[in-house]
Amino acid sequence: MKTSEAGLNTTFDMRLLDDMARKETVIHRVHPLVKLVTTVIYLTVVVSFGSYEIIGLLPLLFYPVLVITLAELPIRPILKRMLLAAPFVIGIGILNPVFDHQVFVVGGLTLSRGWITFFSIVLKCILTVSAALLLIASTGMDKLASALRMLKIPRLFVLQLLLTYRYISVLMEEVTRILRAYSMRAPQQKGIHPKVWGSLTGQLILRTFERAQRVYQAMCLRGFTGEYNTGAHERITVRDTVYLVVWGLFFALARIYNIPMLIGSLLTGVV
Amino acid sequence: MSHHMTEVKDLHYVYPDGHKAVNGISFKIHHGESVGIIGANGAGKSTLLMLLMGVLFPCQGEVLVGEVLVTKKTLPGIRQRMGMVFQDPDDQLFMTTVYDDVAFGPRNYNLEEKEVEKRVLQALEMVGILHLKDRAPFKLSGGEKRAAAIASVLSLQPDILVMDEPTSALDPKSRRRLMKLLDSFEHTKIITSHDLDMVYELCDRSIVIKDGEIAADGPTSKILVDADLMDACGLEIPLALQNCPVCGRKK
Ligand SMILES: Nc1ncnc2c1ncn2[C@@H]1O[C@H](COP(=O)(O)OP(=O)(O)OP(=O)(O)O)[C@@H](O)[C@H]1O
Ligand SMILES: [Mg+2]
Repeated sequence: MKTSEAGLNTTFDMRLLDDMARKETVIHRVHPLVKLVTTVIYLTVVVSFGSYEIIGLLPLLFYPVLVITLAELPIRPILKRMLLAAPFVIGIGILNPVFDHQVFVVGGLTLSRGWITFFSIVLKCILTVSAALLLIASTGMDKLASALRMLKIPRLFVLQLLLTYRYISVLMEEVTRILRAYSMRAPQQKGIHPKVWGSLTGQLILRTFERAQRVYQAMCLRGFTGEYNTGAHERITVRDTVYLVVWGLFFALARIYNIPMLIGSLLTGVV
Repeated sequence: MSHHMTEVKDLHYVYPDGHKAVNGISFKIHHGESVGIIGANGAGKSTLLMLLMGVLFPCQGEVLVGEVLVTKKTLPGIRQRMGMVFQDPDDQLFMTTVYDDVAFGPRNYNLEEKEVEKRVLQALEMVGILHLKDRAPFKLSGGEKRAAAIASVLSLQPDILVMDEPTSALDPKSRRRLMKLLDSFEHTKIITSHDLDMVYELCDRSIVIKDGEIAADGPTSKILVDADLMDACGLEIPLALQNCPVCGRKK
């Protein structure tokens, strides 16, 4: 019980991302809009690679690695959150090796195309999920929302996104409380008795719903009308533009040229 | 000034599940009055405050703030003048830092960021938690959260301050500080509490609620000493007015 509670706490503690977002580093200081656009370009580039591509994708690893280093973000919590996506990724990708038995030979190695696609999917997921997490961890959800508003995304969608994000932490906190209350009164039990699963989930839904409603009411009482104002009206500076252009160029290069192959052939002199 | 008068006429509220929480409450609160709303658990105090703030709408009867009927349309204007501190501070704090939480209200009214900062620091100073401004609200202790919740309302500089059990979960010093703060607040105060000693000190007038109805309404100094009334409504005479436990004499 204790372990599962602690596990829930650390894995789902979205608020840790909020904590990370409050640091002050080179990356954190980049304008939210610029970071958002950079991330969107990155995601598009990653997804646009063919399903047999692995080598060509590798240079794109450079982006998350550099961002995580410059933003001084802790690696373990980010990795943990990435694991949340793992079941879906494996679920989608695992059938490829089963169905696709064609083989081909690369430099003496015989490879199944199925496995290649599988690894390509996994790699793409790692890249996209990490880029999205890093965006949140280095920007913060509220600033991100204001960036979305600058892009003229309708207010309702942005609000929906924000409240959903808040709702996840509200939900997780309720789960922790219910589990704690349960385990205190059922100390010898290892898990939760199946008999009460129904009533516990029912409780959870009702409680989180009520709580979310009260949080929303409290927001309205303080003049909230749907426009989320973070107070920071930063301007896009030259540095921000440079950030965007440099990454944009790098992504374009990585997409057009197979950089590892290029380097390889340069080194072996077979151009 | 009559435009800050709060008036409630024959208010009824039934929760969706059929529970009658408020049954025909009427009163008038003038500008500058400080009113304590007291009653046993489940008497309907929190529900009454929600009705005042327009969080809930009455099934019957009406609420007037400054001679304006509280409806969905008039709500934005009215809320700018009223600030409410919830019974549970967790409902009120949702931003990532205490500072942002306190700044949330002023920013919604599109104040200049300079003015916002001034107000936030002032509000935090008033409740004595300036040193917590960069902390995450969900990591604070119960009493610190309460103080942050109060600051988040003070930063709006409301004309009418509504508080649901402000002193619960506060340590004696913080309770004292809060009472001083409330005492210095010249505008209208509407406070519900089980802390009858606080009500006795702070509120000139008390409204006793029992089962969703008004059991008594009058000067605090008369109501809180009425042992029979207090007893019938699930309350007790404030400690300060009871026999001194040490010397056994009436104070
Ligand atoms: N969401 C709800 N749905 C149904 N009934 C409710 C709801 N909230 C409160 N009640 C009922 O309405 C009555 C009044 O509740 P209220 O919260 O106003 O009491 P209170 O006077 O604030 O009590 P306390 O001193 O414990 O805070 C209670 O009997 C309660 O059971
Ligand atoms: Mg209450």
